[in-house]
Amino acid sequence: MSDNTENTSNAENPYRGDFPILAREINGHPLSYLDNAATTQKPRAVIDALVRFYEHHNANVHRGVHTLSEEASSLYEEARAKVAAFIGASAAEVIFTRGATESLNMVALGFARGLLRPGDEVLLTEMEHHSNLVPWQEAARETGAVTRFARITDSGTLELEDFAAQLNERTRLVALTHASNVLGTLNPVAELTAMAHKVGAVVVVDAAQTAPKGLVDVAALDCDFLAFSGHKMYGPTGIGVLYGKAALLERMTPAFTGGGMIAKVDKERASWGEVPRRFEPGTPPIAGAVALGAAVDYLQGVGPAELRRREAGLTAYALEALDAAEDVTVFGPPAGDHRTGVISFNLRGVHPHDVAEVLDETGVAVRAGHHCCQVLMQRLEVPGVVRASLGLYNSREDVERLLAGLNRVREVFGVSGVSGGEAARRGRA
Amino acid sequence: MAGPEHSLYRQVILEHARQPRNAERVEPHSHVAEAVNALCGDEAEVTLRLENERIAAIGARVRGCVISQAAASLMTEAVRGLPLAQAARLGGVFRQAIEQGETGALPPELIPLAPLIEVRKHRSRIRCALLAWEAIETMAGETAPGG
Repeated sequence: MSDNTENTSNAENPYRGDFPILAREINGHPLSYLDNAATTQKPRAVIDALVRFYEHHNANVHRGVHTLSEEASSLYEEARAKVAAFIGASAAEVIFTRGATESLNMVALGFARGLLRPGDEVLLTEMEHHSNLVPWQEAARETGAVTRFARITDSGTLELEDFAAQLNERTRLVALTHASNVLGTLNPVAELTAMAHKVGAVVVVDAAQTAPKGLVDVAALDCDFLAFSGHKMYGPTGIGVLYGKAALLERMTPAFTGGGMIAKVDKERASWGEVPRRFEPGTPPIAGAVALGAAVDYLQGVGPAELRRREAGLTAYALEALDAAEDVTVFGPPAGDHRTGVISFNLRGVHPHDVAEVLDETGVAVRAGHHCCQVLMQRLEVPGVVRASLGLYNSREDVERLLAGLNRVREVFGVSGVSGGEAARRGRA
Repeated sequence: MAGPEHSLYRQVILEHARQPRNAERVEPHSHVAEAVNALCGDEAEVTLRLENERIAAIGARVRGCVISQAAASLMTEAVRGLPLAQAARLGGVFRQAIEQGETGALPPELIPLAPLIEVRKHRSRIRCALLAWEAIETMAGETAPGG
């Protein structure tokens, strides 16, 4: 993998030119954007789709008979079909939301609260993002259910034996991430789902980190619900997806109600319209959905195999370089098939925010902090980590600039060659 | 080598972060308060002892970045000897200076903190510079002394 020469420099990366923002300079340096797990940059095709929609097709959907409304409705539904094909679902199983967080909350509010009884258990993992943790905590608190956490190993993978041991006849719901937004760990969701189904639990998957990699196939995963965001997969902000198996969506109560989602309304009560519009009250983010469709087209054009191959090669290269540094601690599994290009680490003696700040001065954009994973931070026994996360347009040049930036960090904080503790104690001339 | 002039990491900030002043817990203390930056989880615990209504001893223990550590260290030096209410008011002036980027009219006690005003250009770091001051504001806002 490490010999794929097209990953060597940004000039040679065939996709980089598709992303206008990457031409920007940051603090006098070229931009190395390594914060893709937070949000990805947008290709010209997605930006054009947004503009084209507003310039040529803008109207509200489903409610007008005029031409523009028909066009907008068609484009909106085409986008749904594209997303459905991308994840191996049928269009009726794809609900447009504002993002993965809203998707997960919709299941917690509309499904879990009706499902859970006092003493029931919800099984989570120690690596969950707050968006796939707090909604279940709240649902459990309101219903008298209990949350449990499957442990992770020291290398950042899920402890499968512990997961199996914690599943029991009281487990009604399992919520887990497809890939950790901190560790990069890819969880064996198909296997875990099969285990959960054996005890009759409903499985909810956070696929925010894997949808951009073309790794989501709901038929293969066999999960019951699955959530992801558009903006992490080269699409716009404000649009996301909730996938649910058709039979379960029929059982789910709409968390939000209003116009466009009803069958009939009278003074006393209302009845619900068909799925999926039952779960899309009000005016949806139409342009966002259409542009998400364009992002799916873009990713399909690249191809999941190419996405994976590029990222795997670059991840291996970055991990090798970071592992070689004596003062760098990398969190998460080693390079290989069971991780994504999310690489979290700490530099001894320097707070993650200070690392990120100095890297930014060199044009390298990374993220630092708890990454909405405080339970995981407690498990790792760190207040926060620095996270470099790879995208389609990254190359070795970006990784090299990250490494050079880390040397600059060492220089600024005087931690070169000595441990951080020693440096802090003795001060610096 | 400190950062370039536009950098947050001026020499004085690095120096205070490496060797923070008054970084020990004050015992016995008349007041204690904690502040947490929810953005990053960084924490500051400030303890102080009032004698004759003035801050006779102060300690700030910080688990956090260079900015939050240096800011706490500089804060402890700025408020020692002042009545608590005046210290809190000084914190308000400092906050305003950061939010408005004004260094010209800083009161003498805050002049050593002027390099921190640079954080105004880094939205995510403003809380770091104010963390220890928040503990002072909490103490001043409480009617009964803690401890």
